Order: sequence, then C-alpha cells, then structure tokens
Amino acid sequence: MSRAKPKVVIVPCSGIGKPYGTVSREAAYIVTEELCPGRTQLVPLSLLVLGDPQARAAVTESVAVTIDGCKLACSTKMVKESGGTVSKDIAVLDVFRRHRDLKPLGIAELNLEGLKLARVIAEEMARHVDDLAARVPGASTPRKEENEHA
Amino acid sequence: MPDLPKKKVGIVSCSGEEMPEGTVTRLATLKVLWELRPDDTVTICLPLFLAGGQGERTFARYYPTIAVDGCERRCAAKGTEMYSGKPAASIVVKDLTAGGELGSPEGKGRLNERGKAAVEATAARIATLVDELRTGRPRQRATAPSSTPSPPMENQPPSQNACSCTSTPPSSVISIDGEKVSMLGLPLVFERFLDSDKVAREEIGPELLKAARVYNFISPEKETAYAGALLREYEAYRASKRMNR
Repeated sequence: MSRAKPKVVIVPCSGIGKPYGTVSREAAYIVTEELCPGRTQLVPLSLLVLGDPQARAAVTESVAVTIDGCKLACSTKMVKESGGTVSKDIAVLDVFRRHRDLKPLGIAELNLEGLKLARVIAEEMARHVDDLAARVPGASTPRKEENEHA
Repeated sequence: MPDLPKKKVGIVSCSGEEMPEGTVTRLATLKVLWELRPDDTVTICLPLFLAGGQGERTFARYYPTIAVDGCERRCAAKGTEMYSGKPAASIVVKDLTAGGELGSPEGKGRLNERGKAAVEATAARIATLVDELRTGRPRQRATAPSSTPSPPMENQPPSQNACSCTSTPPSSVISIDGEKVSMLGLPLVFERFLDSDKVAREEIGPELLKAARVYNFISPEKETAYAGALLREYEAYRASKRMNR
C-alpha cells in the first residue's frame, strides 16, 4: 500500500493593483485545475497571512511553487515565513521580459495576451512539478504529455 | 489653517483564491475603487502587511478600513487587525449570499451569473459603508448599479487610487525628545503649509500640531516637544524645496 503522494503547493500572490497579480492568480488556476490536478494544491495567501494551521501545514509538509506579481514577492516571503520551502519562485515580470509580445492588460479580466502569459507560466510550473516527481521517490507520476515530449 | 487632503477609506479584500467568494471580494473591491467611489477609496494587498514595510503596516491607522472577506474565516479582517489596525467595518460575502436570493456563486476564475450578482451586491454594500465612514451617514446618491450600464471594468484605466502596492501611505520618522517616532502624512501637511507660504515660526506650531493630529496620536503632555520637532521638520522641508527650485 503506497502512501498518499505529496502535492506540490502552488501559492500565487494576491496582487490587486496590477495585471501581473491577476496573471499569477490565473496561472495558479491553470496548473492546479488543468495541467496538474491532483498533484498540486492551491494555497491561498490570505490564509497564510492569518497563520491558518491547515495552510501552514500544507506548505511545511510539501514544497511550494510561488508566483509573484511584483518585486515585493509577497507569496515567496509568506511561504518562507510560514516555515515552508520554496522550490521555485516565479516572478511574472521576469517571464514577461522573456515574452514581450504577451503584455498583460486588465486586472478584473485579463486580455488575451495576459491569459497567454498565464499559460506560459503555468506550463513552466507544470514542468517543474514533473521534475520534482522524477526526483522524489514515490512522488506523483509526471504528466503524460510531458513524457511524450521528453 | 490650510486644507488637508480628503480622508479616504481603505478597502482590504481577502482575494481568497480557493473559493468563488474570494474572487467576488476582489472584483467587488475593484468595482468600488474604479466605478462607485473612485475618489474616496484606496486599497492594499492583504499580504503586504507582512511582506511590506512600516508604511503598509500603518495602513489601517492611516485609513479607516473596510475588510471584505469571502468566508467566515475572515482572513482580511483578522489579518488587518493583527498587522495594521482594527478595521472600521467588515463584510463577509457568504453572509450576503447564503440563504438569500443571490445563491452561492460558482467559478473561481470565471464567476457564473450568481457570482456576478454577488459582486454587484457586495460592491454596493462596500460603497454604502464608505459613505457612512466618510460622512457619518449614508450618501444620498444611489449605491446600487445605476440603470445606465457603466463601461466594463477591465477597459477602465485604474485610478491613481487603485492600489497602494507600490505607493505606501506617506510616513516619516522624526525625532521627539531624542526618540525616533513614525508619523503619517507629514509631507502632505507640509505641502499644504508651503502652498500657503507659511514660514516656520513658533506661531504656526499649534496649526502644525492640529494638522498632524489628523493622522497621528499626539499626547497632550508631549505637545511642546512635537510642536518643536514639527517646526524643525517643516523648515527642513521648505529648505529642500527651495534648493530643488
């Protein structure tokens, strides 16, 4: 009987002032609901701020991928402050610099480029989740499509 | 006395990513900031209370704050109180939607119609609270969505008050009797005095004290020390402005 496979925790920032915060939120939804469902767990930053025991346990018992919309890096700082390990921190701005054609606009609702940027970030996270699965014995099986590409 | 900047109301939403009500808090907050009360409101990301600096932590002291939460865990209300100051008012979306005509919203990234209705209802409630906090009574103008449809939020440029992520409430550290004290709003106060050509003389000490007290507690027994320090700071501010001209 195998143990429950550890889920990689995904923590987006809660940025409300710029499109980059919305991109981080959207990317988190894509990876947790579409690309890696069952292998990732979305942990809301607000619960970490509050010190919610379940949210803290989630980040301390697994590894976390953080997505930050600005240089203040709230999600990365909060995960570390909560005792968690950040295995990858993604800055939306850095990804945008690599994809200048994907300029995100809109905070309440992203434009098409913003949605594409979120997908690029989600794909990057999914590859990282696969890498973790390959490195950690007993961890989740990598995504099928990623194996095919490999 | 010079006019001081109008006092605004801060809105802190939980933005909880794991439930539709969290998305409702976020969109309702944006609707108030951009459409319903753009001149009267500011916001801050909840995690900035921890990740940010002193300016962020004094947010709720600087602004009377409305916490907008998705669920009964009340992360925004509790987090604001823990790290900044007690919110002046609090809303829980689930209280507005549960058992009522609105029903429970669905869709975290894309809200369904019930979710959109919840955004409207929550935004209207926030706007009413903003009016009450600013004036002490409800405003006459309608807080509910008007019959004239407003432009979609995503097409509206964020107002200068849309977020405080990178523009913290102005605070300064000054020396009072050899002790470092953080004070809020001094640049705004000094700018108004400068506009009125006030010279840093002892006579304006009481005026400076009164203006500084809008956003700061100053105990009566320390008035003299504060007045002296504020005069020194104002003189330094004037000098720096003269040099930059």
